[in-house]
Amino acid sequence: MSTAAAPAYLKKVYTTEVNKGKAVFAIFPGLCKGCGLCKEKCPEGALSWSEKLGVYGTPTVTPDPELCKACGICERVCPDCAIAIIRVDKEK
Amino acid sequence: MVEILPKMPKSWNPESKPHKFCPGCGHGLVLKALGQAIDELGIQDRVVFGCDIGCSLLSWDFFNVDTVQTHHGRTTPVMVGIKRANPNLVVVAYMGDGGGYAIGSQHLVNAATRNEKITCILVNNTNYAMTGGQMAPTTMPGQKTETTPYGRDVEETGYPMLGPEMVAAITREGAYAARGSVAKFAQLKKYIKKALENQMAGRGFSFVEALSTCPTNWRTNAAQTWQFIEETMTKYFPLGEFKVPEGKED
Repeated sequence: MSTAAAPAYLKKVYTTEVNKGKAVFAIFPGLCKGCGLCKEKCPEGALSWSEKLGVYGTPTVTPDPELCKACGICERVCPDCAIAIIRVDKEK
Repeated sequence: MVEILPKMPKSWNPESKPHKFCPGCGHGLVLKALGQAIDELGIQDRVVFGCDIGCSLLSWDFFNVDTVQTHHGRTTPVMVGIKRANPNLVVVAYMGDGGGYAIGSQHLVNAATRNEKITCILVNNTNYAMTGGQMAPTTMPGQKTETTPYGRDVEETGYPMLGPEMVAAITREGAYAARGSVAKFAQLKKYIKKALENQMAGRGFSFVEALSTCPTNWRTNAAQTWQFIEETMTKYFPLGEFKVPEGKED
């Protein structure tokens, strides 16, 4: 298992700094199928269709850095785990 | 900058992703809940996962656990056999509503009546999705499918099946029956975790029905998909726990 090549979806990831730099919104176009479930569930209406295409040639999503509060609902409802919200630790 | 990785459950097989389900399919969410529950209980090395015929069989390489794929609804007796041969294992019978309620319902009924110590997860998307969206036992009255183009007529085809209610009625003490929904992910995960814990404690039959989405055959966009599962489906299929072993209520 460990000798196998890394899965193709790891090659590309688009990141956006959101919530005043306190978090990073990462989307893996190699996993995103463009279903739009995250876009409808976003309580802030922060997600919109992106120019970047996903694994099936459908649009992926991109967050509005002003609106996104990094609540993580999109990450939770994504059936493909294509979205990762990474909270940035404050420098100590 | 550290390398960013997808937040997949550790029990998932990362090499088979993106998985084979349609865009927006609820199977991914049910399996995510199951994967997170397996991770939290730390039982990945002793889980045996059995998948059925139908869309659910596309999960045959989903997890890094031992997996068996059987015929319609027969995943229940196969898992019963595995559990009887090695009671230390944690077995999960994973099926759709067509396999579990129509073609293989006798196995579900008999395993529940015998109170076998296994966990069943049944995914209900109100149609036979893999064959093109025909009417299933769970199609709701008036719902349009490929074989009911004017809506399901209950005079002619009867009423949909309510699985957890049936399992709660026919099982003995120690059984667990609940219905969750992929629209309420945390609740669904809690039910699946309780069902696994119930099996590990050896109390009895554990059954979770998960309401799921099927945008391909419902012919809905994302907003209509959420509306259908949250409003239309929960009207007919109420969420909640129908049977909980004594002393294990919330």
